[in-house]
Amino acid sequence: MKNNIIAIITTALLIFGPGIKAVFSTTIEFWTTETQSDRMKTIRLLMDTFQALNSDITVNLVPLDENNLPSQMAAASAAGYLPALIEASSELMLAFGEEGILNIDGTTKMVMQIGKNRFFQGALKMLETPESGRYYGLPYHGWIQGIWYRTDWFKKAGLDPPTTWETILKAARAFYKPKKNRYGILIGTKAETYAEQCFTHFALSNAASEFDVDGELTFNSPKMRETLEFYAKLANYNPPGPQTWRARDYYLQGKLAMFFYSTYIMDDLALAEVAAGSLTDENFPQLGTGTFDPELVNNTRVAATITHAQAAGYGAIVALGLVDQGDKAKNDAAQRLVAFLYEPISYITFLHMAPGGMNPMLRDIARMPEYLNDPKGIFKRFGREKIEEIISGLDSIGSFTIVRGKTFPEAGKIYAKQIIPRMIYAVTITGMAPEEALAWAEIQMKKVIGK
Amino acid sequence: MNISLAQSESRLGWKLMAPSVAVIVLLIIYPIVYNIYLSFFDVKLTGAKVFIGITNYERLITDTAFYSSLLTTAIYLAGTVMGTTVVGLLVALLMNLQFPLRNAVRTLILLPYFAPVIAVVFGWQFIFDPVNGIYNHMVVDVLQLTAKRHNLIGQPKTALFVVIIFDIWKHFPISYLLILAKLQSINKERYEAAAIDGCGPIARFFYITLPELYFVLGTVVILRLIWNLNKFEDVFLLAPNVQTLPVFTYYTAFTGIIDQGLAASISVIQFLFLSFLIFFYVKKVLKW
Amino acid sequence: MSQKRTFFQNVLLAVAVAAVLLFSLFPFIQILSTSLKHQFDWGNPSLIPAKLNLEAYRELLGLDHKDRAQVPQTIKKLLDNPLLTADQKEKIISTYQSTSDVFPFPRYFLNTFLLSASAASVSLFLAVFGAYALSRLRFYGQRIIQRSILFVYMVGGVLLMVPLYQISVKIGLARSIWGSLVSLLLIYIIQTLPVSLYMLGNYYRTIPYSLEEAAAMDGCSKSGAIFKIIFPLSVPMLITVFVYCFIIAWNEFLFASVFLRQFHDFYTLPLGLQSLFVSKNAIWDRIMSASVLTMIPVLFCFMFAIRNLTSGLAEGGVKE
Repeated sequence: MKNNIIAIITTALLIFGPGIKAVFSTTIEFWTTETQSDRMKTIRLLMDTFQALNSDITVNLVPLDENNLPSQMAAASAAGYLPALIEASSELMLAFGEEGILNIDGTTKMVMQIGKNRFFQGALKMLETPESGRYYGLPYHGWIQGIWYRTDWFKKAGLDPPTTWETILKAARAFYKPKKNRYGILIGTKAETYAEQCFTHFALSNAASEFDVDGELTFNSPKMRETLEFYAKLANYNPPGPQTWRARDYYLQGKLAMFFYSTYIMDDLALAEVAAGSLTDENFPQLGTGTFDPELVNNTRVAATITHAQAAGYGAIVALGLVDQGDKAKNDAAQRLVAFLYEPISYITFLHMAPGGMNPMLRDIARMPEYLNDPKGIFKRFGREKIEEIISGLDSIGSFTIVRGKTFPEAGKIYAKQIIPRMIYAVTITGMAPEEALAWAEIQMKKVIGK
Repeated sequence: MNISLAQSESRLGWKLMAPSVAVIVLLIIYPIVYNIYLSFFDVKLTGAKVFIGITNYERLITDTAFYSSLLTTAIYLAGTVMGTTVVGLLVALLMNLQFPLRNAVRTLILLPYFAPVIAVVFGWQFIFDPVNGIYNHMVVDVLQLTAKRHNLIGQPKTALFVVIIFDIWKHFPISYLLILAKLQSINKERYEAAAIDGCGPIARFFYITLPELYFVLGTVVILRLIWNLNKFEDVFLLAPNVQTLPVFTYYTAFTGIIDQGLAASISVIQFLFLSFLIFFYVKKVLKW
Repeated sequence: MSQKRTFFQNVLLAVAVAAVLLFSLFPFIQILSTSLKHQFDWGNPSLIPAKLNLEAYRELLGLDHKDRAQVPQTIKKLLDNPLLTADQKEKIISTYQSTSDVFPFPRYFLNTFLLSASAASVSLFLAVFGAYALSRLRFYGQRIIQRSILFVYMVGGVLLMVPLYQISVKIGLARSIWGSLVSLLLIYIIQTLPVSLYMLGNYYRTIPYSLEEAAAMDGCSKSGAIFKIIFPLSVPMLITVFVYCFIIAWNEFLFASVFLRQFHDFYTLPLGLQSLFVSKNAIWDRIMSASVLTMIPVLFCFMFAIRNLTSGLAEGGVKE
């Protein structure tokens, strides 16, 4: 009994112990949207290393789902407990910048210190404030979105790769066999960020945008309506009900012909292949023919560009954002952490969490042999050219936040409020008419940007 | 002498009661009052607030989302209260019969009630997964009742019914317990007398069992109404798209365009409903 | 009853009992089954895993030593820094290699346990005396207190969500982890205190007054009687009430999610379980085994207290 009590007290001390250290050092919080446990592990390792090198700083690492980040930031701001550093998509960074909680001076200083010209300029542009040469955040990594599809099925059915609206729709229709529990395509229909990412790709390919060059909101346009109508049509060939990226599992089970996903899947599919090593027909007699296909990786290709009115690529830049702490010690600590994260070796360690999924934002890193030699051997398999193609593609990806080289932080606020995902949900799931949904969305957008 | 004894008893009573009363007043009664106060303000998450009179209430009564939430709550209450009562009654009648391993069965069926909500919702979500779940497998592939697979939890309309079934599953044990306790106390001789008078089992149920259970059934119904009006986790964690009043309040208070004043006013309305139900319970069931 | 059942009636009875059992237990079976299945087996409707997969349990309990040896080249290079001492390197590597921080089950378990046990203890302590006063003494204002307790007992936590959050923000409790934990503890106490008062009060009423009168004859004071007579007699009920309060706090999600969201190290199990859901791409086996692990302590308490619990619940209304 006594031993138990001692054990409990010791464990409690172990848990609450870090609080004691906090008294003697600067403690900052780092919020990351990389919630997946294997990535968390690497980030924790980086933080541990940073703390070992800087004994006067303690970093609390907090993973948060991107969909919850805006409301968590609001709550934290209310409670007076904002993190010092956040890692989130450029859209959200613009939104936080508009809220006035970011340390823009510090960020701009860091961009200069790291070397403005080392960054891919397209990516840096996406984080620029309306006042040029000043930045909301620092581009840290990026991914490209595409339609991943089963080449063997396409070949057998004699279909063209899904690169235009017509070929996508045709293939989705052809592979949609609900009786066999097989579905044509996966696009986002649940009111989450994923839906907006899929939708934006189509909208960009139809030259539809949120703002015009003069900053007028032009969301409710004929082109946007055409896109939404097409999207709703395509959603008929989705697995039943509201869906999000999680339904990607169905592809690995051979129940899906196409799905929208980022270059992250390169990593995920590779994992599947590793697992496949132990998954032979002998181990899984009833699965060998049915649900798992060991050839899946070889039979998967990506179409990263969608063409309709114009050819469009879509992707996301994930940035590091310095949040103003109102305390010089904390702001300095966060800047030292940023500098550490951009040191080549820590940077590469970070990017190797998801080779192909996390691509560097500094030109020189992208060419480093250490970078191209990833631990999972993914770059080797996909080939150096493919990787370079992806990275160069990142410099030209489109987004609603940029119109002809001009950044519109208001678009970030719209993104943060998830208006487009809710509009898509209303149309594809609750059956609202596209024109009605567009009108609704535009009213919401006006409210958010205060016009 | 007598007076001082009563006085000292009263004093002791208060001494013993005081800590509990203090906690309750400070942490329940005061927040309830404070909530009413907040409902007349535009409240920011930071705690900053501006008096806006009854604007929150005006906004609510013109908001269609509020009415649809009321409707959802009504359907949810009707479904769960009827469901738990009827299932509870049937199971209680069944468990009152003699059969082997009865005690083990009686214990096992209590499990859903005690299991943490969070630990069972993922299981339920998996059962209803549109592509991999066993529900669609049974309905579409095995029994061939419908041609298409359905995402019951994804679609808000059908999700409401899954949520109702889930609640019945989780809470019928408690109505069953209450009803069984009463069933066991019914005098067996009355059944025997009725049987001699030529009453069949069905007549006996209607003439003896049901009148005896009348009171306990009333209790079950009203208690379930009260508890289920307050249910949050069971709905939110299984199907966040089903917006009963508590879920609606949560969304208003903590997500999207955060508006805690508006959330407070929803709570006040819910509180009024609740007070009415409790009043009814006290008058009709407890007969104070 | 004296009547013998026919064969047909027996079959009917057996089918009915089996149906009730299936309804009650099926979700548990599904959870257990999926927790033991391999990723490529999830699409298979059969409840029996094609190949037993204990990976998920091993990972959650930190028993997985499989990839201990694999530290990627870049990480080795990162740590190959003269400024780092050997000790520091070793510590960093061992943190990296331990899998327990995915879903640190032991830690979340301890957090939840400490919080639930403290809340249950405090509210039981308050209720032991309060319920005695309510049920066995007469004092001025007793009726109104009794009714208020019944009233607050029925007012659910959801209604207090906004005011309690606002109050704790206003007095600055929500700002730090300690303040948040205190808020949460207080909230769990008020969620369990009314039900403790109610259940214990009902129980105390069943203890014959003659026992106390006899004690009074022997010169025992009223307050002395609590410790000498009432307390010892009600030990089984005290345990039951404790267990019941413990389970309420153990299962609570709403307030934990509002107050602890930013403080990962202090997550309770329900909160940890929800965040586990977004922590991996392919998650079903892990989420199901975490569900099983979260359930076990409750089921253990349940078996321990089942007898008194069921009668206790059947006697009064029940708090949820």
